[in-house]
Amino acid sequence: MPFREKSAWVTLFAILLVFALFVLHAPRLSHPTPGDFHALLACIGAFVVIETVAFLVLRLRYPEDARTPIDEREQLINLKATRLAARCYVVGSFLAVLTLHHGASANMIGYFIVLAFVIAEVVKYSARIVYYRRGA
Amino acid sequence: MGGTIISNRIRQLRFENGELTQQQLGQRIGVTRQTLNAIELGKYSPSLEAAFRIAEVFGLPLEQVFQYKSLRGPK
Repeated sequence: MPFREKSAWVTLFAILLVFALFVLHAPRLSHPTPGDFHALLACIGAFVVIETVAFLVLRLRYPEDARTPIDEREQLINLKATRLAARCYVVGSFLAVLTLHHGASANMIGYFIVLAFVIAEVVKYSARIVYYRRGA
Repeated sequence: MGGTIISNRIRQLRFENGELTQQQLGQRIGVTRQTLNAIELGKYSPSLEAAFRIAEVFGLPLEQVFQYKSLRGPK
């Protein structure tokens, strides 16, 4: 498995884990509290820590692979995955704004936009893994 | 628009040139072993520059390493 595919798996699991923790601890979208915002900040911090530690472990375990510069196929995979994620984010954000017409509060719209961002990131890293598996 | 098939003889040429490994050939042309494997299997079509670099390693013209076959019939 290429080093960058391993990195994509780590990031995907980190996103899903941290987002699951956030949903478990801040489920009251209709009545948000300041604590929910702090939970969001804590999740972002946890994500950065998990990513940094996992990346360092991968680099130490596979030093040769980690030093290999990104090649043209990997650049293409990144571009294709990012394009897909960008579309998901645009659609998700648009849907989030539409909830305004269904009585959503500003806080709820904010959380829906965060949700759109998380989904877009999950799509991006999932797409990278699929493209690595398929060849390009 | 019809599809195309680009095939290649890289695997055969590697063995005819001192049993070069995918890793060694990849390092010489600046791609990872996984990318070279994808090229060999026809899962990924390399850029023109990478294709020329591969041909250069074997000292052959491009068309002796890569073959292009259109899926559309002759007009």
